[in-house]
Amino acid sequence: MKVRTTFAIGLAALALTSCSSKAVSSQDGTGADGVKTGKGVTKDKITLGALTDLTGVYATLGKSITQAQQLYFEQLNAAGGVCGRKVDLLVRDHGYDVQKGVSAYSEVQPKVAGITQLIGSPVLGAVLPNLERDKLLVIPAAWPSSVLKEKYVQVVGSTYEIEVINGIDFLVRKKGLAKGAKVGHVYFEGEYGESALKGAKHAAAAAGLTIVEQRIKPTDTDMTSQVSALKAAGVKAIVLSAGPKQAASLAGVAAASGLDVPIVSNNPGFAPQLLGTAAGPALQKNFYLVNGLQASSSNVPGIKALVAAYGKKYPGQTIDNGVSFGYVSAKVFGEALKDACKAKDLTREGILAAHRTHAAFDSDGIAPKLDFSQVGKIGTLESFVQKPDAKAAGGLTTVEGPFTAEAAKTFTVG
Amino acid sequence: MTRLLELLINGVSLGAVYALIALGFVVIFRATEVVNFAHASLLLLGGYVTAVLHDDLGFLGALAVGVAAAALCGAFLEFVLLRRAKARRDVVAIATVGIDIVLTAELTRRIGTGVLSLGDPWHNSVVHIGGVTIAQTRIAALLTAAVLIGAFLAAFKYTSWGVSMRAVAEDSETAALMGIRLGRVSMSAWCVAGALAAVAAVFITAFPTPGLDRTTSVAALKAFPAAILGGLDSTTGALVGGLLIGLTESLVGGYQDDLSFLGRGLGDVAPYAVMVAVLLLRPAGLFGTREVSRV
Amino acid sequence: MSRPPLTALLWLPLLILPFYVDMFWLQAGLFVMAAAIGAIGLNLLTGSTGQLSMGHAFFLAVGAYGYVYFAGETSGHVTGLGLPAPVAAVLAVALSGLAGWAFSPIAGRVSGVYLAIASLALIFLGQHVLFNLESVTGGYNGRAVPPMKLFGFAFDDSSELIVAGVPFGGLERLWYLGIALLLAAMLFARGVLGARPGRAMNLVRDQRIAAAALGVPVGKVRAKAFTLSSMYAGLAGVLLALTFQRAVPDYFGMLLALDYLAMIVIGGLGSVGGAVAGAAFVTLLPQLLARYSGDLPLVAAPGADGISPAVAARYLYGAAVVAVVLFLPTGLSGLLSGRLPGLRRSATPMKEESPQ
Repeated sequence: MKVRTTFAIGLAALALTSCSSKAVSSQDGTGADGVKTGKGVTKDKITLGALTDLTGVYATLGKSITQAQQLYFEQLNAAGGVCGRKVDLLVRDHGYDVQKGVSAYSEVQPKVAGITQLIGSPVLGAVLPNLERDKLLVIPAAWPSSVLKEKYVQVVGSTYEIEVINGIDFLVRKKGLAKGAKVGHVYFEGEYGESALKGAKHAAAAAGLTIVEQRIKPTDTDMTSQVSALKAAGVKAIVLSAGPKQAASLAGVAAASGLDVPIVSNNPGFAPQLLGTAAGPALQKNFYLVNGLQASSSNVPGIKALVAAYGKKYPGQTIDNGVSFGYVSAKVFGEALKDACKAKDLTREGILAAHRTHAAFDSDGIAPKLDFSQVGKIGTLESFVQKPDAKAAGGLTTVEGPFTAEAAKTFTVG
Repeated sequence: MTRLLELLINGVSLGAVYALIALGFVVIFRATEVVNFAHASLLLLGGYVTAVLHDDLGFLGALAVGVAAAALCGAFLEFVLLRRAKARRDVVAIATVGIDIVLTAELTRRIGTGVLSLGDPWHNSVVHIGGVTIAQTRIAALLTAAVLIGAFLAAFKYTSWGVSMRAVAEDSETAALMGIRLGRVSMSAWCVAGALAAVAAVFITAFPTPGLDRTTSVAALKAFPAAILGGLDSTTGALVGGLLIGLTESLVGGYQDDLSFLGRGLGDVAPYAVMVAVLLLRPAGLFGTREVSRV
Repeated sequence: MSRPPLTALLWLPLLILPFYVDMFWLQAGLFVMAAAIGAIGLNLLTGSTGQLSMGHAFFLAVGAYGYVYFAGETSGHVTGLGLPAPVAAVLAVALSGLAGWAFSPIAGRVSGVYLAIASLALIFLGQHVLFNLESVTGGYNGRAVPPMKLFGFAFDDSSELIVAGVPFGGLERLWYLGIALLLAAMLFARGVLGARPGRAMNLVRDQRIAAAALGVPVGKVRAKAFTLSSMYAGLAGVLLALTFQRAVPDYFGMLLALDYLAMIVIGGLGSVGGAVAGAAFVTLLPQLLARYSGDLPLVAAPGADGISPAVAARYLYGAAVVAVVLFLPTGLSGLLSGRLPGLRRSATPMKEESPQ
């Protein structure tokens, strides 16, 4: 009896599904204005997604990027939007949790035309197989070379490898690092640190240096034993591919224990908040940041306008690298949307195709010219070197750049 | 040789910080047989209060308020959780996980993106002893831990509070029958543990670590293996466990080149490996009370 | 659960769900099913045997990566055995059990909070191995999970399948596999708890010395419960891996282990149905808050000032754990079965006992 009832209910359910909204239907259409539209685009709105971390370990970065992107789209909408449509940013906070990130992706994916921000390498790794299926363009808030080959992932800027290569070039040219010298490399386990290590080895081979490796975890915040190991090894400079806390500890301990050598760091290794800590003086003395973006204190028109607008919308908030990066990556999407509109194709494929036409993307000087035309190619080989300065906006002043090391030109992603 | 000495000294001073945190676990466990998983958030609370107030009150004043706040919070938890919950003690321990989640969520929301300094008087000063460099904060941590742990050992032995605490740990029902007020003993233990957490916050955020931020409570987790391997009900165990963990972390980090066959980044894992090894030999930890009944 | 018609009715809507809801809900549902299987396993250990484990996430990882390794092919820098998927899944569960059994020198001897923290070591040691054993795990960025294939039917998006006008992709297909596995896991757990082993486990929890006196080998029962619970975790790991389609080491950390403890406490210690309810609560709460944050009072949209959905979810989740321990010792299961706490003593560990 029970089985029969179950069966009958099942059949009834199957009959009902013909009116299910999931039934096969075409998603793409053409609007009254002759523009082809796809998921995430309606007749008066374009929705973009941001999968960010506002409550986890990368909350500092996530907040800056998200606010800068909201600022950009606000400006874009004030100027009339794109294709007569307003651009809306759908933000989801996954707190650097893979499962929440994947869920957020599944939720956001059907509603958006692209993803302007994705924080967390593990989250990116987990959604990677879906991007191909969903044909969705994603900008990660990270600079790994391993995703360069992905058609639907756009790294905005150079990569960790290039930053380290340019950083070591700076040490050789400006800090008198001679052939045969030892260079310490303190790096995070995981993709960020290990990519950077590849760059360091490439640059060291080119300049005749030896790398002394120290691998750490993001939870290690006391660099004392690393410094003593590097000191014992007799290093003449240190490369750091870790976070701001490690930078503060490393610079502080090195200075205190008499290891007076220059430290160059990848761009995630600095936060302006550090200048108020006990390590502030040591950072201002020996620390250099290799960055793909202009310092917020520089005189480039794009930066000045951004700093002014950001300060007006979010008074009293720290301006850091995340702000510039968020703004540039939002602009990358904004420009792609504009060109896709001109081509009358606002489908996901249309947006991607328009994006790929940008071979020398101009961000008013916030970043070097970026080449998005080829999958697998690094967007730029140029970097800036900056120095902490408590008095400067964003806590950094420009030392040099943009420049490209010879060794960066011979580096191949593999 | 200097390097080994430096690593040893650094390990001992790091261990002192862990010992202070582990002591908090031990005091609560002895009095109430509960492992307080909210200890890390009490630490964050004490640290946060100190960090916010040190500009106005000076370091010592702010620390006093921070200690008081964490102690009060501990007492409040005891009042709300332990007095009312009728569940098994290890289920109450899970409830402290719930407390930890709420407190940490609120505190990290307040800390936001900042890196806060607690305003300790040692800044980034170091001491050089025979070619070895040590941060002054670490020497202060070592002295503080030694003084506090010494004081605890004495208090357990000579004061009536300590005697009642021991009696309760031994046999709470008999202790109650002898006129010891269990509630008072238990609440005082939670107060003391909160205060200890606030003191530990100073040293875990001071130089060479950059300051208090949203991830500080993660660092406090390293005291878990310290408390367990020393023996959760032993004050001496907290000290020895803390030192062992500190030494392990420092040595494994410093000699990671020679240990690379085990995979890099061992510093975080080694304390747990040591703990498992100890538990295999002594299930109740080095100084813990052995299970009386054999089954 | 002596009301089969009602129970069957509860399951029915689940069967037609894939015809209506989108990917987000299917995925969330699959996460719940996997979590429920894992939580049932942990509940056998913690709820029924009184052994607190914080290492559950480690055994999930063993199951997930075991499956990926056994079923995956060797390509590039990762290796695999390329076994048929169902065989790989069974082996992965067995491997988790083996890992749990290997921990029995500790799991059998150590109890209470000591075991909790000793098992916490598994998480840290496990993550270290996962990050470093790149040929198996793919390292930091993880590794693609080969789809399940049963009798030539693949549970993925590769072949097109349309049922009653609805396209059936990987998640729709996995949904039914998940339901079948969950049902089997629940029935098996009920079987264990209702028979001799269950009574031995409860006795070890409540009256350890009496259990020994009655001839129950306490150490063995603890070790067996730990092994069984690890196998449940392994199965949950396999289902999770299939749902994720990519296994990343970062996921299997301490927060996950704490989530599982929260699930069984909220659901009700010792209850199979409660574990399922707790798993649904803990897994869905943050996702629902994030999705509907715009429509909820007091919760700000992400990126705006105020209490964000993620923080609100943490508050509710933590408060729920505390509230259940204080006011509802039987958890959601007590609430759902309509019996007041205190009136129902049989399956609930109300008795105070020292952890040692």
